Amino acid sequence: MSAVLSLKGATIRFGGLVAVNDVTFDIEKGDLFGLIGPNGAGKTTCFNLITGVYRPTSGEIFFNEKLINGLAPNRICAMGIARTFQNIRLFQALTVLENVVIGGFLRHKASLASALAYLPPAITETSRLEREAMDLLEVLDLADVAQTRSADLPYGKQRRLEIARAMATQPELLLLDEPAAGMNPNEKEDLAQTVRLIRDQFGKTILLIEHDMKFVMGICEKIVVLDHGEEIAYGPPSAIRNDPKVIEAYLGEAV
Amino acid sequence: MVHQLLPIAAVDFNTLPQQLVLGIGIGAVYALVALGYTMVYGVLKLINFAHAEVFMLGAYTALFTAWYLGFSPQSLQALERESSWLNLLIMLLASMVICAIIGVIIERFAYRPMRSQPRIAILITAIGVSLLLQYGGALFLPVSPPPSIDERVNPYRGAYTITLSRPSDRLLGQKEELERQYQESNVAFEKQLEKEKSRFDLSPQGIALRNAKQEAERALRKVTDEIAASGRELKLPRGQMIMLGATLILMLILRHLVLYTRTGRAMRAASHDFDTASLMGISVDKIVTVTFIIGSALAGAGAMMQATFIGTPLTTFYGVSLGVKAFVAAVLGGIGNIPGAVLGAMVLAIAETLVVWADGSKWKDAIAFVILIAVLLFKPGGLLGSSKVEKV
Amino acid sequence: MNWGVRAVSIVAAVGFCFLIQTVSLGFGADIQRLIALAGLYVTLAVSLNLINGITGQFSIGHAAFYMIGAYTTGYLSIQFLKNSGMPGPVWLLLMMLAGAIMASLAGLVVGLPSLRLKGDYLAIVTLGFGEIVRIIVVNSPFDVSFFGVFKFFTFPNLGGAYALDKIPAIRELWLIWLLAVVCIAVCRNLLKTAHGLAFLSVREDEVASLAMGVNVTRIKVTAFMIGSAFAGAAGALLAHYETSILPSTFAMDVSFIILTMVVLGGTGSITGSALAAITLFALPEVLRRNKEPVTGGTFLAIVIGVIAAVVLIRWFQNEYHGSKNKKTAGYFASVAASAIVAFGLTFALNAIPALHDKAFEGSKLRMVIFAGSLIIVMLIRPEGVFAHHEFSWTWLKKVLRIKPKSEALAT
Ligand SMILES: Nc1ncnc2c1ncn2[C@@H]1O[C@H](COP(=O)(O)OP(=O)(O)OP(=O)(O)O)[C@@H](O)[C@H]1O
Ligand SMILES: [Mg+2]
Repeated sequence: MSAVLSLKGATIRFGGLVAVNDVTFDIEKGDLFGLIGPNGAGKTTCFNLITGVYRPTSGEIFFNEKLINGLAPNRICAMGIARTFQNIRLFQALTVLENVVIGGFLRHKASLASALAYLPPAITETSRLEREAMDLLEVLDLADVAQTRSADLPYGKQRRLEIARAMATQPELLLLDEPAAGMNPNEKEDLAQTVRLIRDQFGKTILLIEHDMKFVMGICEKIVVLDHGEEIAYGPPSAIRNDPKVIEAYLGEAV
Repeated sequence: MVHQLLPIAAVDFNTLPQQLVLGIGIGAVYALVALGYTMVYGVLKLINFAHAEVFMLGAYTALFTAWYLGFSPQSLQALERESSWLNLLIMLLASMVICAIIGVIIERFAYRPMRSQPRIAILITAIGVSLLLQYGGALFLPVSPPPSIDERVNPYRGAYTITLSRPSDRLLGQKEELERQYQESNVAFEKQLEKEKSRFDLSPQGIALRNAKQEAERALRKVTDEIAASGRELKLPRGQMIMLGATLILMLILRHLVLYTRTGRAMRAASHDFDTASLMGISVDKIVTVTFIIGSALAGAGAMMQATFIGTPLTTFYGVSLGVKAFVAAVLGGIGNIPGAVLGAMVLAIAETLVVWADGSKWKDAIAFVILIAVLLFKPGGLLGSSKVEKV
Repeated sequence: MNWGVRAVSIVAAVGFCFLIQTVSLGFGADIQRLIALAGLYVTLAVSLNLINGITGQFSIGHAAFYMIGAYTTGYLSIQFLKNSGMPGPVWLLLMMLAGAIMASLAGLVVGLPSLRLKGDYLAIVTLGFGEIVRIIVVNSPFDVSFFGVFKFFTFPNLGGAYALDKIPAIRELWLIWLLAVVCIAVCRNLLKTAHGLAFLSVREDEVASLAMGVNVTRIKVTAFMIGSAFAGAAGALLAHYETSILPSTFAMDVSFIILTMVVLGGTGSITGSALAAITLFALPEVLRRNKEPVTGGTFLAIVIGVIAAVVLIRWFQNEYHGSKNKKTAGYFASVAASAIVAFGLTFALNAIPALHDKAFEGSKLRMVIFAGSLIIVMLIRPEGVFAHHEFSWTWLKKVLRIKPKSEALAT
């Protein structure tokens, strides 16, 4: 069986707190996979484990059947996993276009020396990356603000830019951490379409964290639910919706 | 040397205990200053570069207080009376109070307006304040010739001597005999000198007397060395004992403040998580102010004691080297960790003494940086701290 | 890419360097020396800007690399220049290379801890590294041995605490300025390419940068190596210009001066670093030349004026909610009002005998002014005078046409 990503008993402790406890799931190629759970459940921490920001205390993480625990984040990204951040982490002083060019930087082919001397290889590579970045900005509907400082963008656009930047690394697996947070219903609707587009047209596999149940249930085909670091449910939206454990975990929150 | 155990150059185990005693004294000052760094870092996550200058100003305060108390260079010639412990106490309190005030002023006017800025901006401000006090201070404070606090302000001079093992009576007798011989030959030579044209142009008789004198001197020195090597005594300078005692008292007070008072609890909370603490209704400004008061007052105490009991001359750069070392001590112990600062200070001071003892005195000032780099690379949390994983 | 424009600008740059050389030959030796040192400081500031401003690695020990370049090449020249039979300028170029290589190796050593350290910790390590280098030179010569039993080699005599002197004099002003120009060009080029963006991304957000696949480690170390290579080459030029160098030539305050230049100019702005280097270098010289001492009254009046200006400007920044134009007008008014007050106070305060009699030599005020300006910039414009702007004709036009946007220059 060839899962794109599989977690096997992934666990991490911070002092006394077990933030993620023995989490196991597989993501197949082309999945649109949801990761949900109440606040502090350990969702973002899962992303951090997958992308190499934290090293798991125990357990294994495979990407295309290669063990990736403990690899540096930039290596993992180069292998084909890109992410967005829940608490938006754009390169604030740089323009929208520049942000996306940096996403593509790992594919540049010019040497540093040619950049320092401003020689043709560096110049052509830079303009190639810029063209590619512009194409992505078109897809994400950000082309008109390409020259704006990313910190000056409205919130919703910043979230889209996060996605554009991650897409620029040309990943196989895209991790989206609460991409719809802070968006109004219209923006959310647009976003849902974009996410589907990314999966269908660009052929990416997507794992996304989201609190908005309508959003998640609407677009995800499979869902894992975490609570207090533990995996409490796994299945298609219809099953998750009626799972008593999930309802209990979300008690008080609208499911 | 007799007791040499290892083929290590110039290492003499007889002098080790004495060196350690000195090391602990220096460690006390490091500790007092390190506490200020560690507490401010704990709350604000700021390396308070200006802390070293607060220390420097504390030393100057002690100096001026001593002058005011009648130990100024002008009045010293006519000085009759002995000093008393009261003078020392006044100097200590003056330094602590003035330093506390200076610390609060710096925080209020240089750091507080910067709190919303990135950390690097506050750090640059701190460097700026530090340089301003160093060079600006030099415009107003006496710097050349570098003044120092007269040792007579300290009524407890001299040292307690603890004899660990006595040299043999034979050697002591020999020394007495040789001392007498040396005196005699010296007197004879001096007498002869009066008859000579000049010290450098001696008659044969003069040369003979001079050689005899030098011979006696050599023999005496040899026996003295042997005595030093065979008998072991420990000199405990009384000033440094006071220093240690005072440091200990201050630490106990600090411990009580931090562990058992409301403010102390709030301080620890802020140090654990600044933002949450402010959400929980802790007045962050007040906590920061208190932190600066305590940290600066401790630095003031350290400055007064170093300037008085160790008696090094003052310049406006008095705090620079000590400041960096105290900071290293704080990092070594685990920055933000109060017992850690004390531990780090002692370890660093003793490491320095050991380097000096192993005949590496010219490398003494480098050792702090070597330790610093090693700690940061291999145990970034320090000895007592735990390294936190940055939240993403 | 337009090779024609490129060729013209290269020729213009070299021509500019020779022009400086020719013009300065018309002055006396001391002015020539100042022009040389100014060029070196431009190199130092711009190269530190690459590390601090562009890559965001807060280094405050830049003088150490300068020192390594100077001492390495000074020593080599004393030992080998005579026998090499090379013409001066060629040898000097070789020495610049040697200094650059040694310094960039040191940069590698300092860059490595930066992989694990952030911000203030890195600052302390760079400071410590500078001190270690200084202590090594001061203690030279010494034997490197295993506890005195097993001797590896003897570290050469670099003059110890005294000067390393009798370095052969090779004074090529054009080369000094050419180094500055090359340094500026290299940084400029870098920022025009995707590589430069990768450097900037490390400054902006290391975690995000890593997540985008940027090899942060490599970039940090590279920045340290390039930055220190330029400082090392500058050191080589200094050693052969001065012919005698002291450990104190490279003391901590030199690092702080370079840092001030970068911070004041605007972190990340090459233009800012270069202009700040020249201005801050010239300022103390002007003070030194002005033989008349500054009286305590004047000093106090200026201090009060500056504090008033800072307080007023901060008030306009934070409390005043007018239009941008009105704010800018407010800044100008604050500065003007404070200047007038200070001017008036000068007379009033100097009338007090105690203040009038206490006088300072201008040169003593140098570091005080640096330190003061560091704090003031942080208080009212932490991003530095130029912020992240670079000089370009379009930028200049924009600034000149749309007046209110010109805060960059106003404050
Ligand atoms: N570096 C860290 N050090 C200590 N605790 C951490 C760290 N990172 C995460 N945690 C803790 O782990 C737990 C899970 O956090 P996480 O951010 O993964 O939650 P989440 O499911 O993403 O919640 P939310 O929906 O609010 O984003 C929290 O209690 C958090 O405080
Ligand atoms: Mg989260």
